Parts: sequence; structure tokens; C-alpha cells
Amino acid sequence: MKILGGSLSLTNVSVSYRGVNALDRVTLALNPGEAVALIGLSGAGKTTLLNTCNALTKPNSGTVSIDGIELGKMGGRELKYIRSRIGFVHQNLSLVPNLRVIQNVIFGRLGRRSFFGGAKDMLFPSSKVVEKVYGILDSVGIAEKIYERTDHLSGGQQQRVAIARALFQDPVILLADEPISSVDPIRAKATISLIKNICKKKGLTLCVSMHNLDLATTMFPRLIGLRDGQLIFDKTTETLQGDEISELFRSPEDPTGPDLLTSNQALLKTNFD
Amino acid sequence: MTRNNTGQRRVIIITLGIAGIWAATTLKLNPSDLLTSNTAIIQDFFSRALSPALDYESQVPSGTDPLLVKALGAAWQTILFAAAATGLSLIGGLVFGFLGSSSLMIGSFRGGTKYVSVFLYATVRLLMTLIRSIHELLWAVLFLAAFGISELAAVLALALPCTGILAKIFSELIDETPRSAAHAIQGIGGSTIQVYFFVLIPQAIPDLLAYGFYRFECLLRSSAVLGFFGYPTLGFYIAASFENLNYGEVWSYLYTLFLMVAIVELWSSQLRAALKG
Repeated sequence: MKILGGSLSLTNVSVSYRGVNALDRVTLALNPGEAVALIGLSGAGKTTLLNTCNALTKPNSGTVSIDGIELGKMGGRELKYIRSRIGFVHQNLSLVPNLRVIQNVIFGRLGRRSFFGGAKDMLFPSSKVVEKVYGILDSVGIAEKIYERTDHLSGGQQQRVAIARALFQDPVILLADEPISSVDPIRAKATISLIKNICKKKGLTLCVSMHNLDLATTMFPRLIGLRDGQLIFDKTTETLQGDEISELFRSPEDPTGPDLLTSNQALLKTNFD
Repeated sequence: MTRNNTGQRRVIIITLGIAGIWAATTLKLNPSDLLTSNTAIIQDFFSRALSPALDYESQVPSGTDPLLVKALGAAWQTILFAAAATGLSLIGGLVFGFLGSSSLMIGSFRGGTKYVSVFLYATVRLLMTLIRSIHELLWAVLFLAAFGISELAAVLALALPCTGILAKIFSELIDETPRSAAHAIQGIGGSTIQVYFFVLIPQAIPDLLAYGFYRFECLLRSSAVLGFFGYPTLGFYIAASFENLNYGEVWSYLYTLFLMVAIVELWSSQLRAALKG
């Protein structure tokens, strides 16, 4: 089995949908074990950026590399393996609602299992697999839900199942797309610290997209700002200036002033003025 | 938009109505046909609806099973044929449903494999249309001519068109199943076949099962009719009793058929409720 370091780099990546640039010549690099937050308004290109990192979206130009190997140049088998080692928590969770929690978590390994191996894991998981799933569910705090039907869980619990599935991938990189967009502020903070702590403990590279500026600045040492598909900044949190933030949240319709998100304006004042 | 739709709907309904009247006049449908035909037989037959026979209405050799035992035995045979055919066509429906699913076969392959998958998709769709355009009883007649009375041929006759129907319906159900989980699992290395069997099918199972049960019900009726060709299902005894003008016996067999379908219906609705849980 190949050993992956967990570095990720994008070079001049552009993606366009029907002539509209979702990503415009974005270049950035994440080192192994680093934790960054990707911030920007809805439609800024955060999801597209994360999707290019495991080739769910193919860039129209530019390259995405994992440990220096270009995704676009990989053969089918190699790409499958790399994908299986990049944990991904989707915004809409993407769970199968009428399956049990354990089965949804086991999906995390499907990419490294044969068809029949996967079928066995789904239907008759070995005690070793069950133990591993239990351990991961325990680390996200819902071990007792292992045999529940997934749609019987609360939204917050389902989100933990999605995180557990990503962790069961035994990933070297964890990508999380707006993991806190649909939970209350207290749970949001708990979720982010949960993901962060697990990644820190296991040495995983972490990239989380969010539009909660407050959490991003307090929890992450490095912030990447996107607007209209363009990289606005990529800085450590201490060196980030207030006007760079207001540039990020400027309304595209009204270029004169940052009046789009009043809540974020208020945050700007408390954080940077 | 909505206004436009209602207008369209009205045009469609009126067109269908005109087509219906035109067909009826071309066929020279005449309601009086029903009045002038042999009223005595109709009266005899329907007068026994409320008093089905509990025992044979004509002489039978001694040692013959009682009528109700025979009816239950025939019902059991009917179920066996239908169950074997349903099992076969469920497997066929799932496999060919996968091959005939546009989003899987055309949507998820790229480069050279895409042409192969488009070819496979088109071939499977055509084959499925072919086998379901011939009714199961027509298949039974063809097989009877080719193989004579054979249980396997009878089951195949029932299973073939049913496979064609299930493959079509399954592929459509699969194409309509929400894709986010499937997309996500493919993004972490799952193959198309794994995603189909482990992600999409489980999501679609309540619908697949409901439709599978409906087909089982249809096959029960077809299996009963197979008796008219000499297989030991309900139709065999219905035909025999009808020929001997033992209408009470006919009604007993018909009620057995009705009971059978009703039980299957009850069973399937309970199972569906449990799955929705």
C-alpha cells in the first residue's frame, strides 16, 4: 500500500460552468498536517474548490496534485485509491437515509474493497470491522447509535455519521464542505473543534469551508478567502487585515461598500477595529 | 405556465375522447350484444356467485381429494409458478435495470468505455422492449409448441416479459433516486457497480419492493391462466368445471384466486410499512 504524506496543491485551477467562472486561476498549497479554513459567501466557489481536490470536479485548466502527483494524470486505479484516502464531509451529508449507521460508515472503505468484499462488509461485517466502526463512532460521540437507522437520528447526529464515514476512510487529508451550515452556533463550535482535534491527533491535513467568520478566525491559524471564484487572500489569521475581510464580503452588485452581510460587518468591528 | 398546462391537458383529454369514440364506431361496438346473447348461461353462472360449491357437483372417482383441498392445492401450485417466475425476473430486472439505467451507463463512463456502455445500454433497452412486447401467455403458447408441457418452460414464459417490465421500471426508479450519496461514494473511490448495488438500490428498495409485489400479483393471475394450457394451476380446474357447467365449482376456484391475491396485497402493504419505519 502506498504511503501518502497528505500535501495538496492547486496550480492555476479554473473551473467554469456554462461560461461562468466558478474558480478563476486559483493557486494554493496545503502542507501535511495543516489546518485551514476556506471562507467566502455562498457561490464564491468553495464547494467547487473542494470538489476539484478529489476530482469530483475536473478543472478546465490548471492542475491539482496530491503529494506532488497530478490527479488529472492518474490512471483509474490510482485515482480510486487516492480518492479513498481523501476524507470528504459533504454539505448535504450525502448519507443513505434508510440504511443503518454502521453501513453508512462502512461506505468510507468501499473504494479499497472489491465488489464482493464490499458486499460482505455491508451485509456481514467482520467483528474487526464492527470494532473499528464502533471506535470511530465513539470518537465522534455516537457509539450507541451504531445499529440505528440513519434517518432516525437528529440532524446533528447524522452530521457525526458523515464525519465518521470520512474518518473510516483512514484519510490523510480531510475536506469538509460547510459542515456547520445547518447547525446551531453552540453545536457549530463543538463540531469544528471535534473535527480539528481528531485531525490534529491523527496528523491529517484539514480544509474546512465555512461562512462563519468568527469561528474561522478563532479556530484556524490560516484562512483562505474566495470571492467570485478568485482567491482574495491566503494568510495567517494574525496578519489578516479588516479591509481584506470586507473586500471578501463586498456585494458584487454594489461595489461601493461592504453592506451585504450586516452580521459579518458587526463581526468585523469586534474583531479588527 | 399553469394556465398553459391546463390548456394542453384539455387538448389531450379531448383528443383521447375522440380517439375512443372513433375506435368504438370502427369496431361497431353494440351494447345490445350483451342483452341478446345466451341469458340462461349468464343467469346460471352469476346465480352461483353467492353460493360457491363446497363439494363436487358431479360424480368423481372415489379417493379424489375433497374440492376445497384440491382448490388449495391448485392455489399452492399457482403460487409456486408465480414465485419462481418473480424470483427469476427480480434478479434479471436488477441486472438489466442497471445496464439500462441511462444515468449509470451513459452518465458515469468516460472516454473509450463510454462507447461500449452506450452500445450495451441501447442493446439492453431494445432487448427488454422486445421480450416485454410479447405477453406471458403468448410466450407460454410458443414454449408449449417448442418444448411441450414443461414446468421450466412455463416459469420462463412468465419470467421473460416480467423481466422486461421490471428492468424498465427499475432503471427508471434508479434514475430518479437522489444522487448525492452516490456522488459522494464515487468521490471516495466507490465503483459504479458498488454504488448501484450498495447506495442506489438500498435507497430505492421500498419502491422496488412495492413494484416487485405488484408484479407478483400480476404473475399470480397469469400463473392461474397457465392452467388452461394444462399446467396444474387454478386455471386447469376452472376450465374443467366450466366445461362441465359446474358453475359452483368455478366460483369456489375464483374465490380462492381472490383470497390469494388479497393475502399477497395485505402482506406486501405490511412489509412496505415496516420498511418505511
